[in-house]
Amino acid sequence: MNILTNIAPVKIMLATLAAGIVLLPAMAGAQVLVPSGSFHSVMPEVKGEPVKVDSFYLDTTAVTNKKYNEFLQDHEDWQPQNIPSIFAHKGYLKSWKNANSDDIVNPDHPVTNVSWYAANTYCQSIGGRLPTLNEWEYSAQLMDFDSPSDAQEFASRLMSWYSTVDNENIGAVGSSGIENSHGIKDQFGLIMEWVEDFKPVIANDLSLDCGTVGRMQQLGNAYSYAASIRYITRMSFTPKSTNSTVGFRCAYDVEKITEKEASL
Amino acid sequence: MKPLTLTYTILIGLLLSGIANMSYAQTDEYKMDGMTFGMPEAEVFTEDYDGPPVVGDHLSMLPNLEPLDYEGNKTHDVRIDIIAQEIEVADGVKYEAWTFGGTVPGPVLHVKEGDRITFTMKNRSDEEVTITQPTKEGSPFMQQVAQNNFMKAKEATMPMPHSMDFHAGTVAKNDKWRTIAPGESIKFDWVANYPGSYIYHCGTPSVLMHTAMGQHGVVVVSPKDGYDTGYEIDKEYVVVQSEYYLKKGSGELFQYDYEAAQNRNPSHVVFNGHQTILHDQPLKANAGDRVRLHFSNNGPSGTSSFHVIGAIFDRVWLEGHPFNEMRGMQTVLLGASSSATIDLIVPEEGKYILIDHEFADAEKGATGTLKAGPRKK
Ligand SMILES: [Cu+2]
Repeated sequence: MNILTNIAPVKIMLATLAAGIVLLPAMAGAQVLVPSGSFHSVMPEVKGEPVKVDSFYLDTTAVTNKKYNEFLQDHEDWQPQNIPSIFAHKGYLKSWKNANSDDIVNPDHPVTNVSWYAANTYCQSIGGRLPTLNEWEYSAQLMDFDSPSDAQEFASRLMSWYSTVDNENIGAVGSSGIENSHGIKDQFGLIMEWVEDFKPVIANDLSLDCGTVGRMQQLGNAYSYAASIRYITRMSFTPKSTNSTVGFRCAYDVEKITEKEASL
Repeated sequence: MKPLTLTYTILIGLLLSGIANMSYAQTDEYKMDGMTFGMPEAEVFTEDYDGPPVVGDHLSMLPNLEPLDYEGNKTHDVRIDIIAQEIEVADGVKYEAWTFGGTVPGPVLHVKEGDRITFTMKNRSDEEVTITQPTKEGSPFMQQVAQNNFMKAKEATMPMPHSMDFHAGTVAKNDKWRTIAPGESIKFDWVANYPGSYIYHCGTPSVLMHTAMGQHGVVVVSPKDGYDTGYEIDKEYVVVQSEYYLKKGSGELFQYDYEAAQNRNPSHVVFNGHQTILHDQPLKANAGDRVRLHFSNNGPSGTSSFHVIGAIFDRVWLEGHPFNEMRGMQTVLLGASSSATIDLIVPEEGKYILIDHEFADAEKGATGTLKAGPRKK
């Protein structure tokens, strides 16, 4: 059974999917190179052809409340009391008790209740950008499992997670115990994430119809079903949407990182 | 921030919003066979509303049917908000349901053939909503749920896009049944053209998952001239069959079981949303009563062979339409989203078990009790 593109030694403990706080690694906020490659998307236009993805850098963890607060200090326009209503729904940063204090609640937790506009601007402000939908999904597929049955078990847990994200108890970044084979953490198990083109043009044709799931299930397994739930959920968002299970991480063009390193 | 970057951001953002807010060509209102078609375009908007999630008359908690207290036709202003709610569906089995109005199934709406419904729905799945503290602006449903919190409903949140599909409405789905994101609201009109009992459910993909998570309910459309029987009904109830596909999660709560749902292997098959509610709170009648059951199989995937042990269905109207009358049925076979309006004579004092005669489902919970007292007439 060909469930995921890569089957290699297990890096994740399925049992820790929803439990266990792992200490925040020193690497938090760091980026790693995701080498170029290809993956099978669940989007129907792909027709079995793998999607090619160029190499890019991706944050190992989602942007935290602390990091986002730092951004707000330099970008007052994006503070809750200043943000124009065209850039976010009313729920923007609603989980923050006092967005102006240095006392950030849960500093190491992923920031949520941020609109796509805000996420986009944050990433640009640090010389990055939001990952594209294909980059994000490609990275998410670079998971190592011992066997197809382990992958199947993981996918099935993923489906359960999508039905009951415990957004009252979202842990710190890096705490999901899930990482891909390049050390990118928590693409599953903590929050959902904004991507640059979250509503692909083809979404128009899919129009969230009952048959959408069927068309997205060419791989016919729990993993593609879980992926289809992600695509469908993203499609219904607007760039102003803010909700308590959606945060983001940033991606970077390879050239930009190389330039930065050269200039050091 | 560089102005150029911001301009780019806004443009892309507008493009992405634009895709969400396509407008649809609409047909003007017209009549055919005495029925009304062609509704105005649905309105999608954001509002500050944080009041009761179920508002309007003739909305009740199962198994009640709010009586129609008006002559002729009327327009119903109805609100059923989408909220997540932790509920119990069997002894010790709790999960975070995706609901219309806070219970599974959602509230029963009772209207008359030809009535118009102005429906508003806010996707409050990202908000904690209490359903057990009714206010005056609520509905009979809110009162009933406050007095009888059988499912032990508790606030929960689970932000998800959702939609509403009323089978009782004849409209274009890409407009009225549109998927809306958490924090958004939708408002649209529909006319109850056909009498009968009709399910409503969330139509957002995965429609299996959304319906199995709890997003379904029933609209009872009473025929404008009633059923042609020549007798009065003593008791009238709504009974809804549905399945859950749950497995134990990592904590106390149960979670959606994707494989079980795909394989049509429910963990629980229930009447009125709970494995034992219709035994602990039996339907009541007396010997010699004529009882009318509006029975709906909301699925999402199972069939139901509905039977009442010790009784024969005197008259059955398939889908509840007065033209579809059948007599003397022992069992009514109903596929997912089918219904029947059933009259039965309660023969004598005692206990009558409502059951899905597909016994595998009965033993997963699809049973209930009709308790009959002594004859009073
Ligand atoms: Cu839904």
